[in-house]
Amino acid sequence: MPRFDYARAVSIDEAVALLSDPHCVSRPLAGGTDLLVQTRHGPPAFQRLVDVSRVPEMRTIERRGDEIHIGAAVTYTEIIDSELLRETATCLVEAAQLVGGPAIANAGTLGGNVANAAACADGIPPLVCLDAVAHLVSREGRRDLLVSEVVTGPHQNALKPGELITHFTFPALPVGARSVFLKLGRRNAQAIARLNVAAAGRVSPEGRIDFARLTPGSATPRAVRLTQIETMLIGCTPSRELFEEAGAEAARAMIAVTGRRWSTEYKEIALHGLVARALRHVFNLELER
Amino acid sequence: MVIEFKVNGKQVSVDAPPDITLLDLLRDYLNLTGSKEGCAVGECGACAVIMDGRLMNSCLVLAPQAAGSEIITIEGIHAPDGGPSDLQQNFIDYGAVQCGICIPGMIMAGEALLMRHAQPTRAEIRNALAGNLCRCTGYQQIVDAIEATAKGRQKAI
Repeated sequence: MPRFDYARAVSIDEAVALLSDPHCVSRPLAGGTDLLVQTRHGPPAFQRLVDVSRVPEMRTIERRGDEIHIGAAVTYTEIIDSELLRETATCLVEAAQLVGGPAIANAGTLGGNVANAAACADGIPPLVCLDAVAHLVSREGRRDLLVSEVVTGPHQNALKPGELITHFTFPALPVGARSVFLKLGRRNAQAIARLNVAAAGRVSPEGRIDFARLTPGSATPRAVRLTQIETMLIGCTPSRELFEEAGAEAARAMIAVTGRRWSTEYKEIALHGLVARALRHVFNLELER
Repeated sequence: MVIEFKVNGKQVSVDAPPDITLLDLLRDYLNLTGSKEGCAVGECGACAVIMDGRLMNSCLVLAPQAAGSEIITIEGIHAPDGGPSDLQQNFIDYGAVQCGICIPGMIMAGEALLMRHAQPTRAEIRNALAGNLCRCTGYQQIVDAIEATAKGRQKAI
């Protein structure tokens, strides 16, 4: 007797109909890189997997006016290969390049990364940094949530039963802004993040910071923009000292949420350094990674 | 459920449960036991196959997800006469094989790379092998074998 059934959806409408079937508890399946590992550890909490990995409407990457649109079933490899994202969302492309090895990047999807809501997810900090919105659909209709609101805690999301993430959108960064993603893992390749950070920014013609975004990951239960640090940076001239101060402030913000834990001794110093380095990259004070 | 797909150029139709992995489908239902189960969580790459032109860990693909796909396993990699392919021969010549359990995955990762990058750098080769673990060789010989194959194929053109 199989532990669960499988159905392949060919459209969003079909996926929603399958996911909302009251007689069969269903969950979406995309890349399977998290879900299939979970099914090995005990009885599944669903009766059927609805495969959305081949729904064409969920696989597009495009620009619509000032907005960038990424389907939830887009894989990391497709993110890496996207000219549009390389131009408009460098931090997301850099994060995708650091996810797993090629086989994981070929399978794993952005929607799956967000729905799985791991605290160490590499896809989430860039989306939060870019102010991305997740577009959800269910039989009850559509609703939009900021990605920072979809993830409510480690492996906890705000999705209702039967609800599907169809795509993400985010406003294009202002002209001239740069974004980066940095990650600390135990090795270079196929590593789970110990800490990661997405940052974006721009310097005005007068040499002052007029745009700043900062989102650490793996630091707190859910990734959020550190708006108090962003505000602190606005109007300042980029300097190593300024970014050291921002790094120290980011470490304080992390500890304010998590308290002092076993890993704080390491993470306090590491996040300080990672944030300072990310800001140096964004504002061109450092060419080497 | 009936799962239909193409494996190593041959159309197959298999009646199998929907909750097994592609790796189990290949090994237990199609007798293609070249792909190995190492970690079963996508860390080691011993189960790697090429699915629709992309390297995939078959332990993380649900068997019915393969329906309609074209899959190449290690059994599909060989010279026209059935002997070792150029990549496989180079693995032998460069001493890239010791215990052998990672090798089917290493060959698939190498082929998947060479399908897309005819002239990869050593850094690109190492990156292509990022998801394949080998506990014997220290990787250098494997990188050498893939690099030699890329050069050999360039000369052949």
